[in-house]
Amino acid sequence: MVLLKATGIRKAYPGVVALDHIDLTLEPGKVHILAGENGAGKSTLIKTLSGLVRPDEGTLVIDDADALHDPRLFRRVAYVPQELNLFPYLTVAENMFMPFARSGFGRITVSEKAMEEKAASYITRFGIQARPSQKVAEISVPDQQLLQIARAATQEDFGVMILDEPTSSLTARETERLFRIVDDLRVQGIAIVFVSHKMEEIFALGDTVTVLRNGRSVGSFPMEGMTESELIRLMSGSSVKLDEQFQSSPSARSDETILEVENLSGPGFEDISFTLRRGEILGFAGLVGAGRSEIMQAMFGFRKFSSGTITLDGKRIPPNRPDKAVQAGMVYLSEERKHHGIFPLLSVRENIALAVTKDIAKGGVISPAREKSIVAEIIRQFDVRTSSPSKKIMFLSGGNQQKAIIGRAMARKPRLLIFDEPTKGIDIGTKFQIYRIMQRLAEEGVGIILVSSEMSELQRCATRIITLYSGRINGSFDHDKTDVSTLVASIIGSPETTHVA
Amino acid sequence: MSHDRSVDAASISSSPNPVQRLKALAANPLCGVVIALVVIFVLSSALSANFLTAFNMKIIARSLAFVGLVTIGQAILMILGELDLSVGAIGGLAGVAGGLLMVQAGLNPWLSLLLCLALGTGCGLLNGLLITRLRLHSLVLTIGMAGVYGGANLVLTKGVAITGIPSDISFLGRGMMAGLPVPFVILLVCLAIVSFVMIRTPLGRYVYAIGSNNAAARMLGIRVDAIRVCAFATAGFLSALAGIVMVARLGTAQPSIGDTWVLAPIAAAVIGGVATTGGLGSPFGAVLGAVIIGIIENVIVLFGISPYWQSIVSGGIVVAAISFDAIARRYFNREA
Repeated sequence: MVLLKATGIRKAYPGVVALDHIDLTLEPGKVHILAGENGAGKSTLIKTLSGLVRPDEGTLVIDDADALHDPRLFRRVAYVPQELNLFPYLTVAENMFMPFARSGFGRITVSEKAMEEKAASYITRFGIQARPSQKVAEISVPDQQLLQIARAATQEDFGVMILDEPTSSLTARETERLFRIVDDLRVQGIAIVFVSHKMEEIFALGDTVTVLRNGRSVGSFPMEGMTESELIRLMSGSSVKLDEQFQSSPSARSDETILEVENLSGPGFEDISFTLRRGEILGFAGLVGAGRSEIMQAMFGFRKFSSGTITLDGKRIPPNRPDKAVQAGMVYLSEERKHHGIFPLLSVRENIALAVTKDIAKGGVISPAREKSIVAEIIRQFDVRTSSPSKKIMFLSGGNQQKAIIGRAMARKPRLLIFDEPTKGIDIGTKFQIYRIMQRLAEEGVGIILVSSEMSELQRCATRIITLYSGRINGSFDHDKTDVSTLVASIIGSPETTHVA
Repeated sequence: MSHDRSVDAASISSSPNPVQRLKALAANPLCGVVIALVVIFVLSSALSANFLTAFNMKIIARSLAFVGLVTIGQAILMILGELDLSVGAIGGLAGVAGGLLMVQAGLNPWLSLLLCLALGTGCGLLNGLLITRLRLHSLVLTIGMAGVYGGANLVLTKGVAITGIPSDISFLGRGMMAGLPVPFVILLVCLAIVSFVMIRTPLGRYVYAIGSNNAAARMLGIRVDAIRVCAFATAGFLSALAGIVMVARLGTAQPSIGDTWVLAPIAAAVIGGVATTGGLGSPFGAVLGAVIIGIIENVIVLFGISPYWQSIVSGGIVVAAISFDAIARRYFNREA
């Protein structure tokens, strides 16, 4: 039995063919993995399947009827986008059943009570930790993510659910919950499309995998008998060594202190002290909400703190002055690429040039020729893939935006680079490129801090790992003497394993 | 100039086909306003024999200068993601303060002029400092400050015009230079300087960056608040300049100067492609928008439309121009 069948889907945008004759078949009760690097065409394909993008060519059959001629059939497809798009100041119940006319709760007036009652059943089913009457802004990000999935499931008689990287802001425990939900849906006979970059998830959930590369389908394969390295080879077209390590070489390390943080306290973190030595890649592990980003942003002057000192190369960094921190050689790459990284309306060239205005300006006047050549060099060096440097950066894929931002940061020749979740939502090929950059910089003597939720990433790159638990440092581990389970025990605050090295 | 043209020619000839060439042209934010300007200009010339005359062009150029100067300042603020509703009040206050200094205090007219420019800059600076230090919303704060500056104007003048402005400065308002009205020359000079800063200096780039993403600009180490304060001060300076040139033109310092300089510059900037949300557009485009509004107002007079209908007609045309631009842009950018 087939629920949805797409044949020969093609979609072109000016200058790029996003999808080139893609075939895809979804069966009830099966989890179909969509894999591919950033920019491979996964998003466009998902949007085509959910009726948001109309293909130039091809057929799309849902329930044996042509959906391209009868858009109502797309109601059978529930789509959960990757980014949160909820109404923060409306209640959980309202978010779930918006628009009210669709869900039957308000043709003229909205019945709050009936709505909240029904919401309660979804809340239990999806394991969301919230009351129906609570405002969405008050609940945690993982719960918001689950709410988004619940909202899609309120769509009456949906047969297909599309989940686009649903775990990117979930911790291990909520990921478990999500897996149970997916299993539930599978038992109910729902066809699930699951997009993820995380290998553990792909192998834990998938029945079938379709691999996309550069807008083309490499093929659909059963997950049975598939290996991790084979899948990576299919996705990237080349093989990567899975056990490759990216620690800086021991010979590059010395006792010279680059950064010293003493007794830093502020909203969300307390009494943080640590040092970063030359040649180190210092990892920070902790659950979402443990205060990782808060500490980094406070050090950088982007966030207020109440007490403590930060010393970089023997010089004190003043509070609340990101500009002074940058002058002192500190660069922070935020986890929130969209909110804190890119300038969406500006071109790739302008985005990068902002960091090198001093090099491209002579006597205070920018030389367009110098700007072009310096930026072109950075684009080449960091392998940013764009049809033209004049293209607005918002039209680039996430991985290429990230490479542009890293290239921009590097152009400053920083003394200390803080990477906050640098590979979130980024494909494995680009990931390894970023690891290699970190490694090279550390060996050149640049201080590197790596904040990450992925234990494998910390294990792969960091020379030393500091663990955080609800705003405090509760452990410090040398990577070569520590295994993942010790780290995990430490970040969930398990006392017996906690020790300070 | 010849250099620019050769670059354009090269980039156009290398484009693959006419449709894409047209799309690239349409993607240019100035495209809409230039087309609208040409259409309105041609229509006006065709419909009224009195429109395309040297005399009428001078009238348009002269009256355009005042709103144009204020528009430059407002455009900088809008690109930055801010708005200043007190620009008109600052212009009026600076104008009457200049008049008082020259007439009642008997100061040297040129010194008075400098002082009144300093006053306008100071008013803008105060707006900027209050907004950045107290983290206020610029729209709300400047509504309040418009009341304060406008009120100061009335306290100083008791609502009565100051007459007897020395003729030393009347050249600024009434003179001609190279065949152009002096106020218009002042506008062109200011526009050239501001455009240069916006396009070719790091400071200008930072303004666009802040308007596009304020938090990211802070993360990059750009001194966001300092630049915002500077922009408000610049807008204050330009308003004061418009105010004092208006005094020079009228020969009296009217307390009502600046009353109409609040909404027209915002409309002009939007017509000229400046986004109200920041990060997009240019002062040059905004001034072209002001030219459109200026021509419309002029044509209404030439056609002898009843004064009661004037505001409906000019408002309607502004709405039509913005709508046309938005629709055209959506059509050409649909795929991008």
